[in-house]
Amino acid sequence: MTAPRTTLALLLFAPLAFFAAFFLAPMAVVALSSLTTDEGGPTFAHYARILFDQYHWDVLWVTFRIALATTALCLLIGFPLAWYLVRIVRWRSWRRACVILIVVPLFTSNIVRSFGWMVLLGRTGLVNQGLMGMGLTERPIRFLGTETGILIGMVYILMPFVVLSVGNALAKIDTALEDASADLGVGPARTFWFVTLPLCLPGAVSGAIMVFALAVSAYVTPALLSGGQITVFSMLIFQQYSSVFDFHYGGALSVTLLVLTLILVTLAGRIGERGRRAA
Amino acid sequence: MPPLLSIDAVSKSFAAHRALAEVDLAVEAGEFIALLGPSGCGKTTLLRCIAGFLTPDAGRIRIEDDDITHAPPYRRPLNTVFQSYALFPHMSVADNVGYGPRRAGAGRREAQERANEALALVGLEEMGTRLPSALSGGQQQRVALARAIVNRPKLLLLDEPLSALDLKLRRRMQIELKHIQEKLGIAFIFVTHDQEEAMAMADRIVVMNAGRIEQTGTPEAIYRAPATRFVAEFVGEPNLIPLEPAGPGRARLALGGAELPAASGMRFAMARPEDIVLIDGSVPDDVATFPGTVEEVLAIGPLTTLFVRCGAAVLKVARLGMSGAELAPGSTVTLGLRPAALHLIAE
Repeated sequence: MTAPRTTLALLLFAPLAFFAAFFLAPMAVVALSSLTTDEGGPTFAHYARILFDQYHWDVLWVTFRIALATTALCLLIGFPLAWYLVRIVRWRSWRRACVILIVVPLFTSNIVRSFGWMVLLGRTGLVNQGLMGMGLTERPIRFLGTETGILIGMVYILMPFVVLSVGNALAKIDTALEDASADLGVGPARTFWFVTLPLCLPGAVSGAIMVFALAVSAYVTPALLSGGQITVFSMLIFQQYSSVFDFHYGGALSVTLLVLTLILVTLAGRIGERGRRAA
Repeated sequence: MPPLLSIDAVSKSFAAHRALAEVDLAVEAGEFIALLGPSGCGKTTLLRCIAGFLTPDAGRIRIEDDDITHAPPYRRPLNTVFQSYALFPHMSVADNVGYGPRRAGAGRREAQERANEALALVGLEEMGTRLPSALSGGQQQRVALARAIVNRPKLLLLDEPLSALDLKLRRRMQIELKHIQEKLGIAFIFVTHDQEEAMAMADRIVVMNAGRIEQTGTPEAIYRAPATRFVAEFVGEPNLIPLEPAGPGRARLALGGAELPAASGMRFAMARPEDIVLIDGSVPDDVATFPGTVEEVLAIGPLTTLFVRCGAAVLKVARLGMSGAELAPGSTVTLGLRPAALHLIAE
């Protein structure tokens, strides 16, 4: 059976048009404006301004450092959580409740959740009161306006992505594989290392890439928790678009962040792929 | 010398369900044992207790002199071929087979050599570099076997390993498995619900039902002299002819006529379909005869089965080839049966 040519064309055209209108066109506009002057002539001046200025590199380093730490912490905490949900919880309704607890915050605005952390992490917030109450610290610890504060907020907000993608990978692993490893004389720790972990790796890598991409481009959480003390790259972009109205320079900043993120994500993907093959 | 494997009064329950009830079994070195029974009879539970994936609630499991009842699976000197094969999807075929030796401390080269040796034994020496997902079901089955025998265990457990294969491949693998078992001299415990498979391969068959062992014996003993009605019906097609008491130490077949010596309490006389013959002409001395009406004829080529009504009972009569296929339903025949061939069953 062959579909009429027009139907085929329509089927192909619809998604293409969608992608073009909502993804390609905005990107093209940003990229184009980053390469033009106010008068409309072509120029690389905006990029030169970014790349030859140490300040931008400093901000980039802070941005990527926070994003990497967020990714690492999300993996470190998210993996055991996913393990708990998939392997340890036997009671189905409790598992469902846990999944809902993890997913529901995603439906809440970032701003609300970040403000929540501002309240919790403040000088007289719940966290400091708790720490002092337990006698762990004499004076309140400063969280707001530090990278630690931003990190706490980011890890909290982005954790669900790791838990869900690792949990999904874990749930798909046939436990007979671990039985087979034990049957061949290999203890639980080494079975985890040689069988379970490599099979979760694709899930962990995709979760990590999502978290990293979201952390690098995050604006609300760092802006609210930094208290004006720390600048990440998305804040620079926001300034250019919202207060300076320099769409050319702002566009160049956006493209720079995008390209650097893509390079890192591609590298991570390669490493993940190689890890899976070598295991 | 203690047996290779001894199982003493092993019991296992899952919540209210009693999966194993005081099971005893001894397996000698080099024996091929089939655990046969319907699904839910406890055969897989027993296998998982032997492998160490389940711990019995009561009883003891020993390998030679070592009590392994509570040993974890990775400390038991035996290997398993899993029903789903459980091949590691992220490793090549050779790495799958070499996994045991490699993790036990063998060098990369040595593990490779031993994997190749095991793969050669199952006829897959060319496939080492492939991923399991690139193999057919039958090939994956062989890889699972190679991986389980690479360490030359004394005991191999096989959990319905052929159930995912189509009938022809299955028949071929039965013969091949039997040859490999004889060649290596490894004791096999083979779980199956297919009685023909058990008959074709095993030295001894253990028939299980509802968590208990109904009978243990050679395929011939199980087939000719089933201990219970369940065994008679699960293995092959029995004709169970009710017995009526006929004086002390004697019983009469409910088909009318023949009397035979029988201990009291025996309720059925079993005759296999091939034990009943069509009488055409003279009757030998030791054969009891009774008239019947053909109800149905089922000819499948190598075998023709007649369903003949004799009084209240319908007897199955098996004949080689297509002989008897010409009998029309409704025609009357005379059946013959040697009372000596009958096997008496109490329940």
